[in-house]
Amino acid sequence: MAGAGGGGCPAGSNDFQWCFSQVKGAIDEDVAEADIISTVEFNYSGDLLATGDKGGRVVIFQREQENKSRPHSRGEYNVYSTFQSHEPEFDYLKSLEIEEKINKIRWLPQQNAAHFLLSTNDKTIKLWKISERDKRAEGYNLKDEDGRLRDPFRITALRVPILKPMDLMVEASPRRIFANAHTYHINSISVNSDHETYLSADDLRINLWHLEITDRSFNIVDIKPANMEELTEVITAAEFHPHQCNVFVYSSSKGTIRLCDMRSSALCDRHSKFFEEPEDPSSRSFFSEIISSISDVKFSHSGRYMMTRDYLSVKVWDLNMESRPVETHQVHEYLRSKLCSLYENDCIFDKFECCWNGSDSAIMTGSYNNFFRMFDRDTRRDVTLEASRESSKPRASLKPRKVCTGGKRKKDEISVDSLDFNKKILHTAWHPADNVIAVAATNNLYIFQDKIN
Amino acid sequence: MEVQKEAQRIMTLSVWKMYHSRMQRGGLRLHRSLQLSLVMRSARELYLSAKVEALEPEVSLPPTLPSDPRLHPPREAESTAETATPDGEHPSPEPMDTQEAPTAEETSAYCAPRPAKVSRKRRSSSLSDGGDAGLVPSKKARLEEKEEEEGASSEVADRLQPPPAQAEGAFPNLARVLQRRFSGLLNCSPAAPPTAPPACEAKPACRPADSMLNVLVRAVVAF
Repeated sequence: MAGAGGGGCPAGSNDFQWCFSQVKGAIDEDVAEADIISTVEFNYSGDLLATGDKGGRVVIFQREQENKSRPHSRGEYNVYSTFQSHEPEFDYLKSLEIEEKINKIRWLPQQNAAHFLLSTNDKTIKLWKISERDKRAEGYNLKDEDGRLRDPFRITALRVPILKPMDLMVEASPRRIFANAHTYHINSISVNSDHETYLSADDLRINLWHLEITDRSFNIVDIKPANMEELTEVITAAEFHPHQCNVFVYSSSKGTIRLCDMRSSALCDRHSKFFEEPEDPSSRSFFSEIISSISDVKFSHSGRYMMTRDYLSVKVWDLNMESRPVETHQVHEYLRSKLCSLYENDCIFDKFECCWNGSDSAIMTGSYNNFFRMFDRDTRRDVTLEASRESSKPRASLKPRKVCTGGKRKKDEISVDSLDFNKKILHTAWHPADNVIAVAATNNLYIFQDKIN
Repeated sequence: MEVQKEAQRIMTLSVWKMYHSRMQRGGLRLHRSLQLSLVMRSARELYLSAKVEALEPEVSLPPTLPSDPRLHPPREAESTAETATPDGEHPSPEPMDTQEAPTAEETSAYCAPRPAKVSRKRRSSSLSDGGDAGLVPSKKARLEEKEEEEGASSEVADRLQPPPAQAEGAFPNLARVLQRRFSGLLNCSPAAPPTAPPACEAKPACRPADSMLNVLVRAVVAF
């Protein structure tokens, strides 16, 4: 199987040909708010794919082993486990309801037969253990097969229980609950490369946790001003470096990224590096400030680069250069003239995520009308694809879509005014090794694969 | 004029968004509030600069100092309150005027400093001339409301001479609530306990009144 998309293709070409693989979720037009997917994440091997939704549920899909009789058909993802991670809560002190919506899921590297993941809502992070049980003990002395206790006086002989195979059961149990550490809404969690600690970030603070310790966390960033009326920016995302366990970055609502080194001081309020692109005065507009807010930051797998997503673009930064990004990709520049309408319908506040492919040669992010965009960093080519039921025939190739920005609309193009802004793709994930992508479109999860030539 | 209207429309819209965001599940979102306040500030600056251009020969404006971005709802309410009408140079109206209809006033805020205290004194004397004992308590309340309205406006310059806030025509209820809340808040002890409950971090309603601006902040937050 081709690895990162370059294997079986003509030399020099990194073109993907994406085909529909699967879609998960109900087809109803009426979407229940609780079913809206709020996060998608592959685990380290890519065999497991987790989704979280607004109803506080986590659904984990597992990739089936490849079928030898159909070598060209890669493994499908089927439901492996479903559980309720978070429930709605009420903060009596502030008279506020705490939403059960899962903001982020992050997998831990697998260390034994069980799988572990962290899931978080606005206030509480939970460590879940997902384990398989395929045997059960039979022949207990003190209880019957159906579990009823036996009358001790009736027991006349002793036997050793034996393990018998049973239908596979996948159990999810909460192993740790990390609560009461965040006053503001948690927007990110990130597992450290030391596999022992992780960070959680809210609007104003970042805390460092040890996976074994739930009653204590260290505050490593605090940007809360003494006088809240002087607040000018909030933290929007944070992530640990993939290899250097002392380095993490956090992005702000002002479009800046700060890289911090935990070795320099206990409280990392002073950054080690500060990434900011000077604003282009010609593109300054009424809504400039809010569209420059960074909604997601992701390190490349190599650790050399990081990518940020703001409302209209994706930027790739070289960690060695703070003055400006090395690449800027426009996601939907045609929306720049529509910012006022997007402010009216609240779309301007949408927080899009972005992701790298396994080899860091391509990046992907979502847009409106169920469109998502892919940028090939080597060939400088980009493509717009759509996640729709219409193009959901097995192994059907996805046709590139095009948005017409003005003038004559060509056939197959869609005009900006026809875009459905209720169909937004905020969450996407790319398999860590293969060219398999998961795209969350409201309550549906689409899985696409690259066709092997 | 178009620019002014558009800026005003955006400010109105922002107030509504601020108001409705308080009803959302999960409570007030800090980031969103901050973004709304940034838009409000930009709209206000745009509105003011458009007004300056319109009124240039007549009025000399104090420099619009770069305001501390205020993330709280009241920033938006402030601006909306002050933007209703184009006319400047009117003396601050009686609070009762504000309740009846959006009258032209507030832009006196941007005129040369008005001695608010002096005008209050004048008014009180005119009221006491009426000789109606029943007016005295209400006079006090009205004065307080007026003072609050004056505080309910924009930035740094206004700390010195707070211009009266004007009830936005579209939000008569908002204005009435603000006025009610102000009088209540002014009676609050300024020495709030330093160890405020965590609730105060998200909602500054509990914090002591430092200035008239904070009064408005708390009013709308409570609202």
